[in-house]
Amino acid sequence: MSSKQTNLLQGTLDLLVLKSLGPGELHGLGISRRIEQITKGTFIVKPGSLFPALHRLEEAGWLSSYWGDSENNRRAKFYRLTRSGKGRLEEETEQWTRVALAMTNALKAT
Amino acid sequence: MKLWARIRSVLRNLFFKQQVEKQLDDEVRAYVDLVTDERMTAGMPASEARRTAQLESGGVEQVKQAVRDHRAGVRLELFWQDVRFALRQLWQNPGFTLSAIAALALGIGANTAIFSVVNTVLLKPLTYPNADRMVDFPAQVSGLANSLHSIPEFHFFERQTSVFKEVVAYDNAGPGFNLTGGRPVQVHGIHVTQGYFRVYGAPFALGRGFTPLEDSPHGGNVVVLSYALWQSRFGGDPSIVGKSISLGNEPYTIVGVIGKNFVAEPQADLWLPFQFEPASTDQNLFFEVTGLLQPGVTVAQANAALVAASPEYHREFPNTDWRGLFSVGPLRDSIIGDARNSLLMMLGAVGLVLLISCANVANLLLVRATIRKREFAIRSALGAGRARIVRQLLTESVLLSLAGGILGMALGFVGVRALLAVSPAGLPRIGEDGSAIGLDWRVLGFTLAVSLLTGILFGLFPAFTASHTDLNSTLKESSNRSGTGFREGKARSLLVVSEISLALVLLICAALLIRTFIALHEVGPGFDPHNVLTMEMSLNGPRYQNTAGVAQLLRDGRNRLNTLPGVELAAAGFWLPIDVEDGTGFQIVGRPVKKEGYGSQYMSVTPGYLSLFKIPVLRGRDFTENDKTGAPNAVLINEALATKYWPNEDPIGQQIRDANEVGGVETIVGIFADFHNSGLGRPADPSIMVPIPQVTDSYNAAYANIQPLFWVVRTHGDPRRYVAAITEQLRIASAGFPVGHIRTMDEVMGRSTARQSFNMLLLTIFGAVALLLAAIGIYGLMAYSVAQRTQEMGIRMALGADRATIRKLVVWQGMRLALVGVVVGIAASFGLTRLLSTFLFGVKPWDPVVFVSAPIILTAIALLAVGLPAARASKVDPMKALRAE
Repeated sequence: MSSKQTNLLQGTLDLLVLKSLGPGELHGLGISRRIEQITKGTFIVKPGSLFPALHRLEEAGWLSSYWGDSENNRRAKFYRLTRSGKGRLEEETEQWTRVALAMTNALKAT
Repeated sequence: MKLWARIRSVLRNLFFKQQVEKQLDDEVRAYVDLVTDERMTAGMPASEARRTAQLESGGVEQVKQAVRDHRAGVRLELFWQDVRFALRQLWQNPGFTLSAIAALALGIGANTAIFSVVNTVLLKPLTYPNADRMVDFPAQVSGLANSLHSIPEFHFFERQTSVFKEVVAYDNAGPGFNLTGGRPVQVHGIHVTQGYFRVYGAPFALGRGFTPLEDSPHGGNVVVLSYALWQSRFGGDPSIVGKSISLGNEPYTIVGVIGKNFVAEPQADLWLPFQFEPASTDQNLFFEVTGLLQPGVTVAQANAALVAASPEYHREFPNTDWRGLFSVGPLRDSIIGDARNSLLMMLGAVGLVLLISCANVANLLLVRATIRKREFAIRSALGAGRARIVRQLLTESVLLSLAGGILGMALGFVGVRALLAVSPAGLPRIGEDGSAIGLDWRVLGFTLAVSLLTGILFGLFPAFTASHTDLNSTLKESSNRSGTGFREGKARSLLVVSEISLALVLLICAALLIRTFIALHEVGPGFDPHNVLTMEMSLNGPRYQNTAGVAQLLRDGRNRLNTLPGVELAAAGFWLPIDVEDGTGFQIVGRPVKKEGYGSQYMSVTPGYLSLFKIPVLRGRDFTENDKTGAPNAVLINEALATKYWPNEDPIGQQIRDANEVGGVETIVGIFADFHNSGLGRPADPSIMVPIPQVTDSYNAAYANIQPLFWVVRTHGDPRRYVAAITEQLRIASAGFPVGHIRTMDEVMGRSTARQSFNMLLLTIFGAVALLLAAIGIYGLMAYSVAQRTQEMGIRMALGADRATIRKLVVWQGMRLALVGVVVGIAASFGLTRLLSTFLFGVKPWDPVVFVSAPIILTAIALLAVGLPAARASKVDPMKALRAE
């Protein structure tokens, strides 16, 4: 594991998972790859943290899942956002933007 | 988070577990498969692709466990899992489980026992509704503590209405009453002022308390019965109010019966009104006073008001300056008295026992943790996190300690009752033989808290050690016999050392108290208590309100008793020779009048009292029958008084008189040897003895009204054999009075050292338990270590070590720990025994005998405990030991 790889903040993972499912349904590995892609490789989510997060979000009612076939015809569990999951994504995005902006300003201040 | 979704998930996780698990497994496997596919597509060989995929995903089982750890309802489920697993574990190791529970039950039981006493005596509030506003009036008479007061003082307190809502007076012991009509019995009756029942919040089963009119002079003969007397003597007669009973042959009208649950202080069978003269100037101090503070007034404010008002009283009544400034204190404190210190000491001691129990169980758990090393390694290989393992182990230890707690509670509860029945502790508020000691939420809460705390305390240490195992090396080891790691060995040694040192502290404390007990019995009270019968007689009725009547009874009674076969000598007095509580002040004729007088104890007795108790007259003469009413007043003084006030003169022939100069001049005719008149543990207080026929009428009347007369009879052989004959003669002499509280003087002496013997007994039990636990602890450690090192022993023998060398090796290894413990224990004891010094008598807190013998005993026991495993080690057959691997 490279030392450059940033540790995920608590809560950040949830937001990333929700975000990665924004365009449509994906299976576990797909979510992992999508996150890697949209963060330009900053965050690599391992199954040890990915699956607990997926199950937690599903139990909270933000994701739903079904079994389907992957692109190369393997059975896999797919996840998609529920309606409340979409709401949650908006909420979290807004909040994150606010926090990030505040932090950036705070750190720029002299 | 949506509640419904959450509940649904919890239910699904709990009830469709297999399905959920299957899906999880499929999902994670699918992930690995997908990664493998990716790699193969990129051109990696199949086996390589799968290996790296698995490596990268961190192991299927670990991922699954991580998901499980985050599932809804996971805590509940895990908890159940832990409990079930722990129960199974404990069930499968009955030897370990039983010994751990036994050690815990001993420790927790001892704590429950002591705490239930502490709870009853110190913590429970008084049962009176206004207990927090009730105060008593302690006073100092010439340095002797004495809470008695006079009628003018009582009226003075009553007038301080700004601080006191009400002030009431009551006898502190009472003279007792002869309940006649049918079989006469002596009952315990005390005089009270009419506000008494109101201030103490006494409920009435029937009738009412005294009216102010009934409590004034010539208010008539009225009485209030206790519930117990009403039940036992009158069969709970519902129409008893208005009926008449006979006390000392005089009729008294019953006006009320007190309710069942009233805890009378002092204990009483019936109550009578004092009927104080409002304008009395009588300065005799003969009753106790309790005040009820006005709402919102603090004890400090009441004290300030009393101090400010005291000079006014001294102006009104000349010659009362020696009474000093009046003060009040919380009633609860004076009821508890000095029991607080001895109970807190006991609480400290049982705390140590509990610590030893904890150390012992922690040690057992460490052994098991070592044996279970592989189990933990496998569990973490299967994905159990460190927290998970710690939680599992803690569940086990808390279950153990709860089991120990339940058993301990039963043990402690029965134990303390049994103990108090055997050794009445002389503690206040515990009822007859400790019957008031009961279970309540405080005791239950205490035991629960102690159990949980000990469970966590002894469990945490081994749990952290166990969860620290190095996965790889443990799994690679061929068996679990490879010996104890350095860390655990050190931890266990530390535990054994602390056990030994704690046990030594307790042992030393117990030994000091045993020495105290022996010393108390060796001092000799200064008189001979053997073969003496003591009895109380209540001098009721007008005949005994003057000296002549009392003197007549005493003469007649003594003449009758002295002619009885088996009786050596008979005498009487208003005190037994221990715990004399009457203090007085006197003036010495020819010396300037001293404001408060010279302080002394005061006893009035018949001739023969000193010789009956074999108290020698050192100089001058004893009382004779000639020291009667009308003859020149004679007094005897003890040596302590002689040396205190006449250090360079001969006191014989000197004259003294009452501090307030009432009554005539008295001439000192003799000096008697000191005896322990203030309890065995204290030196003799200065004391004056006067012949009963020569005291003033008012003094005699006061005595007859506040406490019983003590008859004392020395017999040939066991005095119990003569009880019937003696009481019969006394009944005839007194025209029908019964005697009560018939006890031998030896029994009286036993009561007076009850507290010390209780302390000693308890601490000895604690010391013995501690010793046992420590011995088990060191035995366990050595036995285990020998079992682990069988192979090493075999090699040593094969290389030429003989059995003696092996034995020495093991013994030395164990004894090194014991000796370190002993050294630490001695050092700790030097610091701690100083706290004991108030409980000690005739022995210094650093008594060399104790500080040498206790470590020797402990070392001997340790040697024994180490000797067994050492003997086993030396019997190792080298061939077998070497082949065993």
